[in-house]
Amino acid sequence: MIEIRLHGRGGQGAVTASRIIAAAAFEDGRYSQAIPMYGTERRGAPLTAYVRIDNVRVRERELVHTPDYSICFDEFISMNQIIANSLKPGGVVLANTKFKAEELPLAGDIKIATVDATGIALKHLGRPITNTAILGAFAKICPEISMKGVEKAIYKYFPGRIGDMNIAAARASYEQVSELVPAINKEAPKEVVEIVSGGYGALKDVSGWRVFEPVVDEEKCIGCKNCWIYCPEAALEWTANNKPAMISRSCKGCGVCANECPVKAIEMKRVEVKKK
Amino acid sequence: MSERMTRPQIPLEEGVITPGSTCQGCGAAMAARLTFKVMGPNVIRHGIPCCPDQSSKSPSTGSVFEGGGPCLTGTARALKALGRTDIKAIAFFGDGGTYDIGFGGLMSAAQRNENVFVVTKDNEAYMNTGGQHSGGSPKYAETTTDAVGPNSRGSPVHKINAAFAFAAMNIPYIATASVAFPEDLMAKVKYAKDIEGFRILLIQSPCPVGWRYDPAKTIEVARSGVQSGIWPLYEIENGSSFKLNYKPKELKPITEYLKPQARFRHMTETEVNEIQVYTTAKWEKYLKADELKQIVF
Amino acid sequence: MVDYEVMVGNKACAVACKLARVKVAAAFPITPQTSITEYLSELYASGEMPGFEFVNAEGELSAQIIVQAAARVGARSFTCTAGPGLQFMHHPMNDTASGRTPLVMAVVHRGLKSMQPDHSDLMDQSWLGWVHLYVENAQEILDTTIMGYKIGEDARVRLPVAVGYDGYVLSYTAEPVEIPPQDMIDNWLPPYKPPRSLFYDSPEAPIGRGGGDRGGGDPNMAWKIHHGAVEAAESVIKEVTADWAKLTGRSYGNGMIQEYKTEGAEVILTAMGTVAGSASAAVDKLWKDGKKVGLVKIRSFVPFPRKDFQELAGKYSAIGVFDRSIQPGMGGPSYREIKNSLFDTGSYPVVAGFVGGLSGKEVTVNDFVKLGEKTLEFAKAKKADAHPIWV
Ligand SMILES: Cc1ncc(C[n+]2csc(CCOP(=O)(O)OP(=O)(O)O)c2C)c(N)n1
Ligand SMILES: [Mg+2]
Repeated sequence: MIEIRLHGRGGQGAVTASRIIAAAAFEDGRYSQAIPMYGTERRGAPLTAYVRIDNVRVRERELVHTPDYSICFDEFISMNQIIANSLKPGGVVLANTKFKAEELPLAGDIKIATVDATGIALKHLGRPITNTAILGAFAKICPEISMKGVEKAIYKYFPGRIGDMNIAAARASYEQVSELVPAINKEAPKEVVEIVSGGYGALKDVSGWRVFEPVVDEEKCIGCKNCWIYCPEAALEWTANNKPAMISRSCKGCGVCANECPVKAIEMKRVEVKKK
Repeated sequence: MSERMTRPQIPLEEGVITPGSTCQGCGAAMAARLTFKVMGPNVIRHGIPCCPDQSSKSPSTGSVFEGGGPCLTGTARALKALGRTDIKAIAFFGDGGTYDIGFGGLMSAAQRNENVFVVTKDNEAYMNTGGQHSGGSPKYAETTTDAVGPNSRGSPVHKINAAFAFAAMNIPYIATASVAFPEDLMAKVKYAKDIEGFRILLIQSPCPVGWRYDPAKTIEVARSGVQSGIWPLYEIENGSSFKLNYKPKELKPITEYLKPQARFRHMTETEVNEIQVYTTAKWEKYLKADELKQIVF
Repeated sequence: MVDYEVMVGNKACAVACKLARVKVAAAFPITPQTSITEYLSELYASGEMPGFEFVNAEGELSAQIIVQAAARVGARSFTCTAGPGLQFMHHPMNDTASGRTPLVMAVVHRGLKSMQPDHSDLMDQSWLGWVHLYVENAQEILDTTIMGYKIGEDARVRLPVAVGYDGYVLSYTAEPVEIPPQDMIDNWLPPYKPPRSLFYDSPEAPIGRGGGDRGGGDPNMAWKIHHGAVEAAESVIKEVTADWAKLTGRSYGNGMIQEYKTEGAEVILTAMGTVAGSASAAVDKLWKDGKKVGLVKIRSFVPFPRKDFQELAGKYSAIGVFDRSIQPGMGGPSYREIKNSLFDTGSYPVVAGFVGGLSGKEVTVNDFVKLGEKTLEFAKAKKADAHPIWV
């Protein structure tokens, strides 16, 4: 049996991806099981899903605690040690990132492969929905899954033209995924950033939720407070000089502020994923 | 009726604790933020199962999904019995909890004119459970239980006109509001919170996930709903005095509202026309009532 | 002489509410509970209960939620219902208990298959973790309703208490009831204070959703704590009952059970509610005929008097259990609990499970005489007939 853990965020299609992997395994003549994280899914909120593949019907009814593979659909979460934690010795991490495998700050007795799934998704689908864009890469690095099975499974979920586009994305990632390289760091870095997922009630910090963030052009800003009053998260502070300023821990990057600015003084800029 | 509020009058201080656990661009989160900016500290907030919006800085309690009305009743009566009528029993509920499963209980609480203030964030479906049909779902909207196919065109019925149902109970105050009109919304909260008796405020709260539009467009969608007459802003006092708070010279066509939302994508021209005629006819009635300053039965 | 009045069971209940200075009551009429709501309405109208709020709820569901909310805010609260009304309350009753909200609810038994009484209505609720007390006469209704507040509001318990009594034969039957003076009750039962105030100007006001002990990390924990609270009610019931006996001179055994002529008995019968009265009359007859049959009245079904039965187990050769309800396919509830209690003691008296009195079927003193005799036969034969033995 092999066990897979998927990291993504609500809206990226990680749960669908888990089912596509399970269907691909069945296409290849094996049994499988796809488990979504239990609880509520909120768009933008980090989430986890799991897959098991076996030669017999899967009987285990528990979350995957020590996966063989960890797949991360999100560029930000890819920089976080959580995707490398509790893997089986020699386990594999497949991360969506522009960085080379050697550059990821992940540690442990693991091997890492990377692919720029966001770039591939934007090119083939026009939207940063990275689920199918990473599955081709997975078929390449995981001998338990065939590319043929993945393609058949994608068609099951996305028939017709949408399926073609998704398969094109999967094929691109099959071609572009890096070699597997062992992690350089053996010890996990001390500072592990908490990935705050959804649920109920106030959260500590959602800065990791946003793919885009508001950048204010103070020259253009006329101080009308539209951005400030329409922000669902009160994530814009109204400063003493009558201008808005993003409160980083509160902004989820929805873009309402930019959309409501009457003078287009706010631009939603793609957040740069930085190495720490 | 409420008194106009201006942008500079909006308090800088927040009444909610953010960030909350809502989706990006959540209209209900906006509704909660605006509501609790002016609600004041002397409240007990009541909740029932629904999507998260924003936690407020007020003491909170709650009840089962069907229990909105009686839960508020119990609190209000206890406050009276304990001599603490300075504290207000207020609620922040979803449309499902208000118009469907909890409707009877709220209606009865309204009929008893319980001293409570209900704020409903209306996102036109059961969003917490994944966007199923509610009494707030408009006709033709595709919800996860109003699928579109050869046998179904989305929601088969018009949205409940809940404000008028409550008006039948002759309660002191009913109003509608929209997150796109924050000053109007807050003026209504401010006015309603100190009235004695049953008050209800219905807030249009678009949901990017359930209505299927780009999260950045929450306000844009809400605004076009108001400007096209789909979601008129008004107040009703004592079951009959009526005031329309927003009266454009001309309504925008409803297509401006429907277009960005994929839940209406399947609608045919005939269906769109049907909704246009329905909306315009209703709008005429609102204008008439506004002119007469009351609803004539 | 103490004040007394010949009153029906339902009035005894309403008078108890007044004596306990209940602040909020909400109810919905259903036979045979209805007259409690009417008495409460009169008490409200007369101004005899200053600061009392009475709500004509639009259904039992709402009645339960209203009193739950009122109690959570800090008002001593009361509701009452019967049979189908109780079933309609089921959902919010869970929150009342899980939210650890003390209040008293009178359940005027109306069985689930007719308008007439049996215990199936309250038995149906036994998973929710309320305290369930079953009472026998109008005096016991008055006394137990007041005691119910003292038990439920105790910091070790903090649970709602259901006081169950049979419809008609008790709810509408009049008998003399002693009414304790108000100041005596005021001294004994202080005003209710919730553990955490919901008032914004109190330092302990919680922010975020209220509710019970959700127990943090371990999902089992909320159940573990709730289970512990119901178990803790046992010693509180015993304390409060003893205290009440000191205060009023009226005693109800140890509160969990009440024994009658068990001293020197060969076998015992058990019964709950009104039929325990008839059973005790039967016991007198049996002793008179030289048949050594005692009676154990079960007062508390939840928590179950497990320890008491474990102690009784070794003393008698047979126990004839009478249940006024049956869970189809599963059997009589107190029969199962008693057997369950005895298993660990290693002493196994013969346990016979009688079931009767369903849907109001009368159970007479003579019926109980026969059950006593049967139980003696079972003791001799060292074996009982198969359960259920229909009466
Ligand atoms: C008695 C009961 N039935 C069903 C549910 C499941 N449930 C929880 S929230 C919800 C939908 C809430 O919809 P709404 O009131 O419109 O609020 P929203 O989630 O849209 O904010 C449902 C169906 C429940 N909690 N209790
Ligand atoms: Mg809703």
